[in-house]
This record gives sequence, C-alpha cells and structure tokens, in this order.
Amino acid sequence: MANTFESSVVTIDSAAASAAVAVTDESDVAKASVRAADGTVAAAALGLTFGSSEHRGDTFVARVRPDEWFVMGSASAVGDAISGLDLSGYASTVDVTYSRMMLRVTGVDAAKMMEKVCNLDFSDPMTPNGGCAGASVAKVGCDVIRDDVEAVRSYRILCDRSFGQYLYDALVDSAAEFNG
Amino acid sequence: MSHRLPAGSGEVIDRSKSISFSWNGKKLKGFQGDTIASALMANGEHIMGRSMKYKRPRGVLTADFWDPNTTVQVGDEPNVRAGHRKLAEGMNVSAQNVWPSLKFDVGAANGLVGRYLTAGFYYKTFMKPAFMWPKYEAVLAKFAPGGKVDLGTPHGYYDKRYMHPDVVVAGGGPAGLSAATAAANAGASVILLDHENAAGGHLLWGSDEDRAAAADLITAAEAAGVEILENTTVTGRYEDNWISIVQRSHDISMERLIKARAKVLVVAAGTIERPYVFAGNDIPGVMTSGAVRRLINMYGVKPGTKAVVLTANESGDGAADDLRRAGVDVTVVDAREGKTIASASGSKTRVSKVGLSDGTSIECDLVVTAVGWTAPTSLLNMAGDRPVYDPAAARFFPGTPPDNVIATGGISGDGTRDELIAHGAATGELAAARAAATRHRIQAATARAEAVEGSEPELPADNRTPLGRDAHPELHRSSTHGIVDYSEDVGSKDLFGAAAEGFDSVELIKRFTTATMGPSQGKLETVNTVAVLAEARGETIAEVGTTVWRPPYAPVTLGALGGRIFEPVRVSSIQPWHEANNSTPILAGQWVRPEHYGDPQGEVRNTRTNVGITDVTPLGKLDLQGPDVPKLLSQLYTNKWMKLPIGSVRYGIMCAEDGVVLDDGVTARLGEEHYLMTTTSSGAGTIWNWVENWLQTEHPDWQVHCTPVTTGLTSINIAGPNSRELLGRLVDDIDLDPEGFKYMQVRTGTIAGVENCIVWRIGFTGELSYEIHVPSAYGLHVWNTLLEKGKDLGVAPFGLEAQRVMRLEKGHFIVGQDTDGLSKVPTTGMISLLKLDKDDWAGMTETAWALDAPYPVIVAVQPTDPNVVPEEACQILREGTKEIVGRITSSRYSPTLERSICLAQVSQEFASPGTTLTVLLVNGERITAKVMEHHAHFDPEGERLRG
Repeated sequence: MANTFESSVVTIDSAAASAAVAVTDESDVAKASVRAADGTVAAAALGLTFGSSEHRGDTFVARVRPDEWFVMGSASAVGDAISGLDLSGYASTVDVTYSRMMLRVTGVDAAKMMEKVCNLDFSDPMTPNGGCAGASVAKVGCDVIRDDVEAVRSYRILCDRSFGQYLYDALVDSAAEFNG
Repeated sequence: MSHRLPAGSGEVIDRSKSISFSWNGKKLKGFQGDTIASALMANGEHIMGRSMKYKRPRGVLTADFWDPNTTVQVGDEPNVRAGHRKLAEGMNVSAQNVWPSLKFDVGAANGLVGRYLTAGFYYKTFMKPAFMWPKYEAVLAKFAPGGKVDLGTPHGYYDKRYMHPDVVVAGGGPAGLSAATAAANAGASVILLDHENAAGGHLLWGSDEDRAAAADLITAAEAAGVEILENTTVTGRYEDNWISIVQRSHDISMERLIKARAKVLVVAAGTIERPYVFAGNDIPGVMTSGAVRRLINMYGVKPGTKAVVLTANESGDGAADDLRRAGVDVTVVDAREGKTIASASGSKTRVSKVGLSDGTSIECDLVVTAVGWTAPTSLLNMAGDRPVYDPAAARFFPGTPPDNVIATGGISGDGTRDELIAHGAATGELAAARAAATRHRIQAATARAEAVEGSEPELPADNRTPLGRDAHPELHRSSTHGIVDYSEDVGSKDLFGAAAEGFDSVELIKRFTTATMGPSQGKLETVNTVAVLAEARGETIAEVGTTVWRPPYAPVTLGALGGRIFEPVRVSSIQPWHEANNSTPILAGQWVRPEHYGDPQGEVRNTRTNVGITDVTPLGKLDLQGPDVPKLLSQLYTNKWMKLPIGSVRYGIMCAEDGVVLDDGVTARLGEEHYLMTTTSSGAGTIWNWVENWLQTEHPDWQVHCTPVTTGLTSINIAGPNSRELLGRLVDDIDLDPEGFKYMQVRTGTIAGVENCIVWRIGFTGELSYEIHVPSAYGLHVWNTLLEKGKDLGVAPFGLEAQRVMRLEKGHFIVGQDTDGLSKVPTTGMISLLKLDKDDWAGMTETAWALDAPYPVIVAVQPTDPNVVPEEACQILREGTKEIVGRITSSRYSPTLERSICLAQVSQEFASPGTTLTVLLVNGERITAKVMEHHAHFDPEGERLRG
C-alpha cells in the first residue's frame, strides 16, 4: 500500500492506555470474517464454541456467531491463517479490517464502565475471559469480546467503521467517572 | 439557630462545617449533614409550604423522603423534597406554589368556600360547556401544585447503568442489611439500595446501641462485597424481576437510572408511619413520632417546647423520651388506654392547643402522633402480590409473592432488632439459594457463559421462621374530620361525601377524590383512605381492600428516565476533508453528509463540463458469496440474474411481498461465486435484514454468505467528461478503454497505490462516470489524490444537492421520494424489468395484479414558466377543479437546462407526453406544466453516459 492505515477515530490523551479505564483504538488490527457451515473443514479447523474466543499463535480467533469467526492479528498473520484454511464446501471469507473498527476498553473498572453503555451481564460466570457476544453498545450494534490483558479486565469492541468516532467519544465519556 | 440542641451522639450533622443558604430571600445558616427541612426548623422556620387546594400553611410532618408538606424550589429545580435533600452551600431555597408569599397567600380564601370545593368539584363544574374548557384550564393551571420550571435551564447530565445482580435488596434497615450480607456470604452478587441518605433504617434515630448495630451491619455488608447505594430508590419491579432503580447519589449525574435484572428481589422496605386523621391535623407543629425522633437524634433540632404525644406504640414512647431529653415539656396521651386526640387548633402558623377525646384540652406548640404503620408493599404489588389486612396488628402484610420476590423485616412482621436481623439473615440465605438455581439455568442457556455441571437445582422452599405480629390498636380517624391526603388536600369528609355519592370501590374513590395520587403515592395516605371508606360504608378494611400500587414507587425525573442521550452518527472516511473544506453538512438518516460546498449549482455545471467527485460511501454494500447467490438475486429483484457474466453490473428493483417498491440498486458479479450488491443509502439496513430473512427463514437451503461492507469500502463517484482521464491517472492495472470497460461493467484493481479496489462504470448523474470502492482506511488518500491529479482537468467535489439535481436532470427516480408506500413497479415506468415468466420473486403476484388495474405513473414535468420551481408535494389538479390527480415528487432548478424541472406522479389519464397539467403551488397560485416524453430532461439517449 502507498499509505499508512487511517483509523476512523481521533483519540484523546485522557483515555490513553495509562488511564484507569483506558479506551484505545485498535482499528488497524487486521480482521477477517470466516463464515463456515457445520461439517466443513474450515469450521472444524477454527473450532471453539459459539460465544468464545482464544489466542492462537499470532492470531486471535473469536466465534462471534454460530457460523462466523473473526480471525485477528497482524495483516501477515491473518493472511497466513486465512490462506491456510480449507474453504471448500459452504465456507467463505471476507476481509473486514476496513469495515469493522475495533476499540479496547481496559481497566479494573472496565466492566462497571461497560455496564453504562451495554446491557450484557459482565459478571465472570456469564462473560468469562474469552466470552463474546453481539450487543448494543451506546446504541451501536457491536461485537464485544472479553480479552483480559495481564489479568486486568479488557474488552475488544468491534463495530461498523462509520460509527467509530461516535462510539469512541461515547466510551470515553462513560469512562470519565473512573478516570478522575 | 435558636432551635438547635446540644451535640448528641447520633447526629449526622457536622457542626464544624457551617453552610449558608437562603430561604425565600432570607439568609440562613445550617450545618453540613442537615436536610433543608432540618436546617429550616433549626432556624425557627416552621412553615415550609401551602396546601394545594385550600392553601393552608404546612410544616414538617414526617421529616423524611415522604414528607408531603415540605416540597420546595431550589434554584431552578422544582419539587425538591426538603425532608430529604441535603443542604448545600449557597442553596437558594424558596416555597413553591404560593402567591404573593408563603406567609400570605390569597389562595387561602379558598378555605372560606371549602364546603363548595368538595371532591369532584372540578369534574362537576368545569366540564360544561365544552367550549369553555380552554379558559377553565388556564385558570385551573394556576392552582396546579409544583414549582416553576425554567425552560432555559441547561439539560442536566443523566446516566444509565445496567446490572445483573443475583440479589437486589430494597431497603437498608437491619433486616435488609442482614439479608444482603447473608446472601453475599452465600456466594451471591448483591446490591442493596436505600432511598434515604444513609442506610440503617430506624436504627439511625434509635438508641446508641441501635446506631452501633447499624454501623456493624453496614461494615459486615461491605466486607461481604455488597454494593450499597444510598439515596437510591427502587422505583419499579417488572416482568422477570426487571428492577428499575433511581440513584441520586451518583457523583457524575443528577440522577442515574439503573436497570437491574435481578434473580431475586428482597423487599425490606420497612414500614412507614401513618399520620392520624383529626381536625387540625395539618396545622404546622403536628407531626409523626418518627419526624420528632429524626429531628432530635439525627439533626439536633428541638421541634417544640411543649408537646402532646399521642402514642400507641414504642415509637411514640421513644419520641416522648427523646422530647424529654431535649428539654421539651411532654404530655402523653396513651392510645393503648383508650385515649386519643379529637382536634388541634392554633394560629395560622403553629398549633397551640389540642382537644382530647375526654373533652379536655391541653396548651402546646407540638403535637406528635404514633398511631401505627403502613407496610409499603408497592414492589410486592408490582410482582402480583396482594397484601392482606390484619386488624389485630392494624396494618397490611404481604400475601404470597412469587418465588423470586421475598419480603423481610418490618414489612413482614414485628420483632426486636436481633429478631429482624435474624429474619434478614435467613432471607438472604434463601435469596442466594434461589438465585443460584436461576443462575444455573441462565448460564446453561447462554453460549458465552462458563459451563455449569449437573441439572438445574430445585428452588429451595421458604422455611424461615416468620416474624411475629405485635398487637396494635386500630387508629385511623378520630371523632372529627381531618386531612387524609396532604399532597392533594383531600379530607376524610371528602371521602365520606364521595362514598355517599356511590363511589364504593377504593379504586374509584381514589380517582374521584385524587386521594393517594400525590407525590408520596399513597405511602402515608392509602391505609387511612381505605379505613375512612370502610367506616363510611360500614365495612371492614379487609373488605374494602387496597388500591394497586404501580410504578414508580417514588417520583422520578424525566431526565433520569431519558438517561444519557445516545444519538449515533455515521461518517465516511472522507468526513475530515469535508469538514475542513467548508461543506454544509446534512443529516441523512444516521449519516452526516456534505450537502454542498457553497455553490451546488456551480458544482453541477463543473461536473457537466469537467469532472466532479462525490462521496457516496453511505450506499449500502453487501458482500455476497456462495453458489446460490443467483437464486437469491432472482428472488429479490424483479428481473433476471441467473446468467450475469463475471465483470458485469446489473440494475434491479426490489419489491416487498405486497409488491410495493422496496429498494433499488446495482449488483456486480466479481467472481464465480462472489457478488457485491449495492442498495440505497437509507435502505442499507432494511435490505440486509431482507436478505438475511430470505436466507435464514425462507431458504435456509441456499448457500449464500452475506456480509455488510458498507463502510469497509469508501465509495467515490467520479463523474463528468474528464472522469476517464482523471481515473486513468490513478490506475495502471485496469484498462479504462471504452471498448474494454463498457457501461455497466466492473473491474478490480489498484487505485492510487491502494490494492483491492473495485471500479464500476455506472452513473446516477447521467455523465460518463465511474464509481470506485476503496478500502476505507485509504479512502481519504484516494480522494486527495483525485483532487491533486485532476487539477488541470477541473476536478472539484460535489455534494448531495448537486447529485440530486443531476439525477433529476437525468430523470432517475428515488425510492421513497418519487415512490411512496403504495407505489409498485409499474408506477416507476420500469415495466421492462418485470420478468413475470420467472418462477417467483418477492411481490411478483401482487405486481402482476397491479398491471391489471389503474396505477399512477411517474412522469417528467416541466413548468411552463421556467423560473417557477414548484415545491415538492405540490398537488396536481384537474383543470378548473379541486380534484387531485397527482403530485410533484421532485423538483429543482436545473443549471444545465436553465429551467425548472420535475418528476411527478399522475394518474394515467394525465401521463401522456404533451399533456398540460395544473399545479397548485403552496401559495395557492395555479400554474401549468407539461408532461415530457422521457423521464430524462437531459441527454435522454444516454450518449454522455455511454461515451
């Protein structure tokens, strides 16, 4: 490419990674959507139960819907993972790096902050580390994936790119009470 | 502060922190921790408001959240509860709904004609004649209670929170705190809510031992992990234990609405002390025993100097003891010995004497009543429970609430402090066990949740030892008539009168008299209302029953219900450029789009002459993959799709199942089993749902994966005679030769160094044009490169308005603007796209029927006067009549043709080219216009498009 990746979000310092509840932009993480029906080679290879995710080598794989997985990571890692998939049968893939932006909310009070914008049950039994679900976040349809960082609560939030700045602003506003 | 007592061990005020505030303009001082009411009482201010109807002076009655007499205005905030709201520095407090002043209110003259202002007075007097109602309404509005709303007040910041606790405990008294702790220790997640400023319940105004016990209970609850929210009210209980909670103690927002989905709700709401009904029971200086105890023990306020205490229980006895300690001269009237108060009298500002039932009277400036309790069973009612009256205890008790709602504490019985705590603990354990069973079920049914083992546990039975019920005399009304509902100014005499008029149901009498319908929502009034009605009808209280308490438990601000205002907006990757280059934004659905850059007509001329670029990212885009995509397309579109060649683009119209035009757009075949569909911008979401509906519900056998990629691809339309030349400067792996890349074809390649771009040769403007779709992270780069590389070609951006003008010049209809909720394909003129020989397509049968009946037709219209642009939606009339035969659907002034142009829907009779139409303008003027031969006003043969 001739240019650097341009995110849909302009971030501010008060919500940076050092904040108590940090809201950071990870839109440049490469993301591929894989759709595969039960019984296909791709579905078996990607595995996981619906609503779960895991780090797998250089990639992060989330089964966000019964027949849909997100494979995330660096462009090369995702590219390798996808090219290595057998997409025979009823299976397909779409690069959603540009259509799905991704924010990350991290901090001890991240769950409390998320409770202000999303009606998922963020308790450990209901949304354990790795758990994922589709949900409305500040009235935007999102995929929410719990992916703790060094044992600190952290959520990946993916939504349509066009909502990026709106959603970022809404999350930063919600995090303000935890960030002094 | 002449009425302040020496410091006491249980007070919640900090005497080292003085607070200045004003009361009706008078400068006063209080202490941190004071409520507004306690601070006013400490300053000797006993009148805090006037009654709604008769404008009688009113003072403290309960000195807590429910006090109906102390509603005040604080700055621009009306309806503040002075018995609850904490004093703050600089507060500007004033009485509300008084005129001209609190001390002298002309409305008090109503009292002189009180006998005529009985219940139902409004209904009987102001309903006829009906045409006079607006005038009546204007007068009556002046008597409506409530403070002043300043419409200029900035909107406050409100917040919302969702919670999924195992157990919600409503009430922070000894039983509630104990229940919360026990539930948490049993492994449940627990929140406890107390609507007063501090948890502890009645222990807070009790003995030193009581307060120490409260502190211990709170410490234990916090240690167990209970989240305690004070100054927070549970306002409603809904289906499946959906609990609405309003938190006023949140640092960030004025009020926060919490939506909690609780597995078990524990109702530990305690009891609320009932006022006593007798003549003069609303004179300032008459108050409940709880009010006296709170004022003395929590706020160090001496409520009077010479008191008469009517007591039927320990609370009254305690109040008498507290008063004596405070140096008040106390006379006790013990209701347990058959004595009672018959009446109170005094000046306009203060009680001065009470008459007893034995005919004697006592001089006093304070009358205290302790005549029994109301069980606030609202939340139980909302769960479907019906409380049961026990005459021996003189109050209602819970009936049989559902398994996920459990009552504990004073609401369910009487006991010592330790007995209440023990009952609470047993309740907490039961709640935790029931919550665990529910949690097991929910976890097992939720994909993302931790796995659970075993089958769902049985719901534990309620084996708690019930609390006892203390005997209590039934004391509701004395031998005289007095106020029953302080908020609504409804007296027992009104209730007797209503009963005599035939309002025999408590639900009817409530609505007729408005008793229990004020801000305290019956907490103080319901039982007395029922008791008076029972007396009037010669029935028992149990026979009369209660009204049904519904949400909200306490008044809620509209701001809290609204919560934070989330209004998502969408922008394209090029939006920063639009903002930096003087675009005028327009909100199209959720999208912020550039309407124009200052000169939309100039933008049209430049595009027709040179080349223009426009941001069309909001166009809906769906990536379709799979062997059955042609079947899907054939089902959705009216035309044929089974043989679309790779590299080609086709236009299609979609219908709903009733045949009405749903959307239109083009779809390209990118590969063997790979297609890209575009929809209208506004229809993107609808069509995605429509596609998924067909795939998931109607044809799960079809193998098609649909992925929305609307904003993954930044879409730019390059239009104008120089568009090929401009695009050619940015691509080197796509052959733009018109013979190799024809109209309605698609190519993929690299644009301005950006790989994986899609280029279609189509156009909405009627010009030679290319629509490019670029990975959005590089959309702005490509946009800037187009502007940079096309300077010598005259490239300039054009906005939505110029695009609309050019599409109208070209005669393209817009779904939803030129069509409506009844328009079928024949109306659009696209009959050639109706392939009725296909097996099926959505709306096919209905469309076929439409062809056999008269239908309106979209036609191009040009006004006779080229300078007149009829407003869109102007009616088209049959000449010389008012008969509507059509309407203008789109209209603009065309800078290309230098005249006005329109599209219109007309009945077929008026659709023939050359027909002269009569158009009724908004100003009433009628003009003539001519039906044109083609939809396209400009380049009807499409030579420029295909050039």
